[in-house]
Amino acid sequence: MEERDPSIVARARDGDRDAFRALVDLHSRYIYALAQRMTGNAEDAEDVVQDAWLKAHKQLSRFEARADFRTWLHRITVNCSIDLIRSRRHREDAHDPADLEQGPLSERGADSQPTPERVAASAQISDRVQQALGLLTALERAAFTLRHVEGMSIEEVGEKLGMKTSATKHSIFRAVRKMRTALEPFVES
Amino acid sequence: MRIMTNHLSDEDLILHYYGETARADAPRVADHLASCGECQAASTQLRRVLTLVDTAPAAEARPGFERDVWARLEPQLHAPTSRLVRHSLGEGGWRTFFWAPQWALAGGVAALVLVAFLAGRLSNGAAPAAPSVQQAQIEPGRVLHAAVGDHLDRTQMMLAELVNADTDQLDQLAGEQARASDLIAVNRLIRQSAEQSGDAAIADVLEDLERVLLEIANAPADVTSNELSDLKARITTQDLLFRVRVIASEMRQRNRTDREAGDRMPQRPPTS
Repeated sequence: MEERDPSIVARARDGDRDAFRALVDLHSRYIYALAQRMTGNAEDAEDVVQDAWLKAHKQLSRFEARADFRTWLHRITVNCSIDLIRSRRHREDAHDPADLEQGPLSERGADSQPTPERVAASAQISDRVQQALGLLTALERAAFTLRHVEGMSIEEVGEKLGMKTSATKHSIFRAVRKMRTALEPFVES
Repeated sequence: MRIMTNHLSDEDLILHYYGETARADAPRVADHLASCGECQAASTQLRRVLTLVDTAPAAEARPGFERDVWARLEPQLHAPTSRLVRHSLGEGGWRTFFWAPQWALAGGVAALVLVAFLAGRLSNGAAPAAPSVQQAQIEPGRVLHAAVGDHLDRTQMMLAELVNADTDQLDQLAGEQARASDLIAVNRLIRQSAEQSGDAAIADVLEDLERVLLEIANAPADVTSNELSDLKARITTQDLLFRVRVIASEMRQRNRTDREAGDRMPQRPPTS
């Protein structure tokens, strides 16, 4: 079965449940990875995947056959992730953002300075990147991911997240600084 | 944080990395980077750090993830309403939530006439020469972009007033019902245009919005404080105001893009 087989999408649009299941099988890992990157944790990512498929199913009749299904699903997943992040924003707002700016990574549960051997291990670098991403607030993470990974302009990110451009910039600046603080030891100066 | 007076700031370097340096700042940043070893090093270091982020593999779902997703999903696919909709309406439902038959039966001609009217009324503030029905059919995207901003602004205003009303201000709801009825008609037209032009995300928000508008329009005369509270909670829980604001912002951006594209297009001769 071709991953981008348009006939599967066409059959799913016609109400073929097996075809829709095939789409779920083909694309769930992809959108999970995306949702995980956006939300920062596995449980939220699974919820986003679920919501994204429900929306996709509901809106499938509107999907244009000439479009790329994965691109369409990607957009739905990003929007579901943003909805989830937004729904938790109030909780995050209660958190003092300045508190998140303070202190080096070592004070935040990543206290073991890497040895050269560990630095050399790409899996551990990957872990460190994940740890660093874990230091970002939900909004910082979303803004950073939309700018850095999704390639949206800062203005577009602000519109997606319902933030002013200046506030979006500052979220991205804070995110990049935190990433740099956490990851600088791993790059040659 | 790097504290510098003459050197480039962190913000300069980050914006430079993403290619988002403001036009007015670009010469200053480029000139400084070309001549300052320290800032070049900082810029290189930033690029390396951010490249490291790119090299991190994506999170892997656990084995059997697809099967689990399907197991959770399948029972919900053919339920009368989706989990999201049930969540937004509440399991018990809103006792006045029904699709108003007069809107369900609204004819296509009336819809096109209203879309044409909206497009004419809202197009660039120019004299409202209403486009023809044919134009409304040919260019649903542009009509949508032009009309939807105004509609969403009015809707936001109404929802905000409702959300901020005290729950004992029951006349507030009654006062909004006529306005909600007007908004439903326009909302439905724009939603249909969004569907036709493939704007699924916008259509989705408008669909949620339409349901709330219907609840308001069809609320009984003897609505209780609790019911008003429920309605307010539902608007809040769905983040409806926020989502409407986001879509309105997106529409304004698209409208700007449309206008810019229109400016670049050769002018069509006026039709008589």
